[in-house]
Amino acid sequence: MKLKTKILGALVSIGLMMSGCGSDQAVEQSSAEKTFTYGTVAYGVAMENAGTNPHESYSGWSTLRYGIGETLFKFNRSMQLEPWLATDFEQIDDFTVKITIDPNAKFSNGKPVDGAAVKKCLEHLIANHDRAPSDLKIDSIIAEGKSITIHSTEKMPALLNYLSDPYGCIIDVDAGFDNHIVVGTGPYKAVKVTDTQIELVKNENYWGVDKPKLDRITVKSITDGDTLTMAMQNGELDAVQGLPYSSLQLFVDKPDFKLSQTDTSRIYQIAFNFDTPALQDINVRRAISMAVDKKNFTDVLLHGNGTPAVGPFPSNLPFGDQTVNAVEYDLDSARSLLNEAGWADSDGDGYVDRDGQNLELNYLTYTSRQELPLLAEMMQSNLKSIGVKLNVNATDNYKTFLKTGEYDMFSKAIVTAPTGDPEYYFTSHIVPGAVDNAGHYDSAEIAALEEQLHNTYGADDRSALAIKMSQQVLDDCALIYASHLKMSFVMKNNVEGFAAHPSDYYEITSLLDKT
Amino acid sequence: MNRYVMSRLLQLIPILLGITFLTFALMQIPADDAVDILYQQSGTVSEEIKAAKRAELGLDQPFLVQYGRWLEGVVTGDMGRSYISGKLVFETFIEKLPATVELMLVSIALTIFVAMPLGVIAAVNQNRPVDIIIRTLSFVGNSMPNFFAGLLLIYFLALKLNLLPIMGGDWRAVIMPALTLTLSMGAKYTRQLRAVVLEELEKPYVTGARSRGVDEFTILTRSVLPSTLVVIITLLALSMGSLLGGTAIVETIFMWDGVGKLAVDAILTRDYPLIQAYVVWMSLIYVAVNLSADLLYHRLDPRVREVE
Repeated sequence: MKLKTKILGALVSIGLMMSGCGSDQAVEQSSAEKTFTYGTVAYGVAMENAGTNPHESYSGWSTLRYGIGETLFKFNRSMQLEPWLATDFEQIDDFTVKITIDPNAKFSNGKPVDGAAVKKCLEHLIANHDRAPSDLKIDSIIAEGKSITIHSTEKMPALLNYLSDPYGCIIDVDAGFDNHIVVGTGPYKAVKVTDTQIELVKNENYWGVDKPKLDRITVKSITDGDTLTMAMQNGELDAVQGLPYSSLQLFVDKPDFKLSQTDTSRIYQIAFNFDTPALQDINVRRAISMAVDKKNFTDVLLHGNGTPAVGPFPSNLPFGDQTVNAVEYDLDSARSLLNEAGWADSDGDGYVDRDGQNLELNYLTYTSRQELPLLAEMMQSNLKSIGVKLNVNATDNYKTFLKTGEYDMFSKAIVTAPTGDPEYYFTSHIVPGAVDNAGHYDSAEIAALEEQLHNTYGADDRSALAIKMSQQVLDDCALIYASHLKMSFVMKNNVEGFAAHPSDYYEITSLLDKT
Repeated sequence: MNRYVMSRLLQLIPILLGITFLTFALMQIPADDAVDILYQQSGTVSEEIKAAKRAELGLDQPFLVQYGRWLEGVVTGDMGRSYISGKLVFETFIEKLPATVELMLVSIALTIFVAMPLGVIAAVNQNRPVDIIIRTLSFVGNSMPNFFAGLLLIYFLALKLNLLPIMGGDWRAVIMPALTLTLSMGAKYTRQLRAVVLEELEKPYVTGARSRGVDEFTILTRSVLPSTLVVIITLLALSMGSLLGGTAIVETIFMWDGVGKLAVDAILTRDYPLIQAYVVWMSLIYVAVNLSADLLYHRLDPRVREVE
């Protein structure tokens, strides 16, 4: 009995200790400081952006997203360029552009941003970053007072777009890079950077018209979707990015929370392999394209977190979906087209056949994007309804199959306009011989249009060419564009100035506030 | 004794060589390497840039050359730099270790604190309601995967009862991940302890002590519990080994920045130098923990000394 009493006493003590750990809201602040805690799945070592030095891997995304750095130009909600640290530019000739810097711009350490500082930053970028030199193709930079003149090694119509990439954040190189912290020009400055968290404080020297309103911000990397959801629900976080689709519904139309959503240029696309004999017939490609129920994919499988796509670019871009046409979802017409192409179900097994062979295709995709296996399953079901048998191979070792050519259709997710310019998508995925032209689509029209695009300056003219190219791809039924992904932020109701941006670049800005 | 320790340490050499070679070989199997993964985020990157990066990292060399270089570095005290962060591997590892050690110590302490009394209570009340309740709870705890236990704890303790923060920034942050680990470890320890105590209670020395009028508490604390120490140490050695290797799932759920999460991130990004460092670390801790346990048996159990 004595023993039992002692043991029970110990257990009660554990219980008391546990209850003693209770607290009020975990994030409650004792001081009058305005603080903001942001949970995101998009920061961390696995995302290769754990740091704030924009000249290192993808850390520039953190610099830009979390309000530490700014670029010379930025994208508006239509993904068109606007001045930011720069006030203006002048295209002197096909190889030379002069950029004027805002006279008020200064770094968070109070040092003014002049031509010399920008030149030093860009030269450091080119010397240290792996992708920037080949993107920018800068030959020389001349600094003069509050301007720089950039001379390129070749015609660079999209130079200003590339300078607006996160790696283009202008930082004070002389201030150093200790502890992954840089001195930028944004409304907030980093004071502590770890692999899982960034702590920011207000930049008292902020040069912009709208001054930062929060004293302290913590950006937390939370990679588990359920943890992220519950941390938002219990009030530990003020805002989150990257909630699982199934959790998003918990915050819709709730008085304590609000959402900000926007279409991004991340597309879920399916490329036909032109090396597959059956798919060399445009009627077969068209029939398959007509059998894809994109609305079902976005409404049901993505829980409304996507928009059915027409072409490769979302409609918030000037060369987006509103400018092109694709075949509509129509199963009857799809069946007729297959019949016209000589494919019919002669043996009654439910699959169309020709010369004794069923129309059976191998569909390759990967699983690291949660939406792709869902799309594969839907494709399998959709194509079965027109008598096409689809064998799905969803593997993260997909590159092996791409190398060996063991696929008839390849589905992937891709950001088509990371710098707001259309050329990148065409040169990487569409033109004959492009690195990621997985379908081996070979169009002389596309090649000619790309040549034209590469030598065309001016956003409007470039948009017009991009529209022609997208339409050509759609007319050839070379690819199926299933859906544009919507990006969603969930925040507490008292959060202001926090909105999802189509570029996915700007999250914490000087407009962010808590009321 | 010294010869025994030396021979155990010498055994470590072929173990380390074998494991690191095997890991290095396994990492070569996927078609995409560290450079492919590195540039995956930016969509399309030209093959020239990738080739330059491969040359910079030495990934363009044959597999055996890469392994040889890595081994040479390790022998000379240089574990290399992370492909992703560019930081020294050793520094990165040391940076994450305190969090893992902290979680390990708190979990082990909580486990002992919970399992010792429960195991003993269950044993002394064999087949009574309290025993059945404890056995049922330990069965549930044992069967519950860590990720599920963690989410349940978050749901009840943080979301519904608002007792603890999910992540927090102070000392309380360790409680929920430690409790998650305690749930399964405590359940396992409770069942083992119950079985060992029951076995001891049926031994003649206990019957003898009882017939001499020694009270139950003294029999338990002076005779039975010391006899269970060897079992507890074996369990602790195994648990410490796995906990020092990090608990990737718990660390990910609670964003506990330890070596488990580091290892998962390294595998996802094919960061070979970090993966290799993790493999070396795991081998070292298992050998060290098992060796320490053997030495402790030697000290605690006269029967082991007699056998030797």
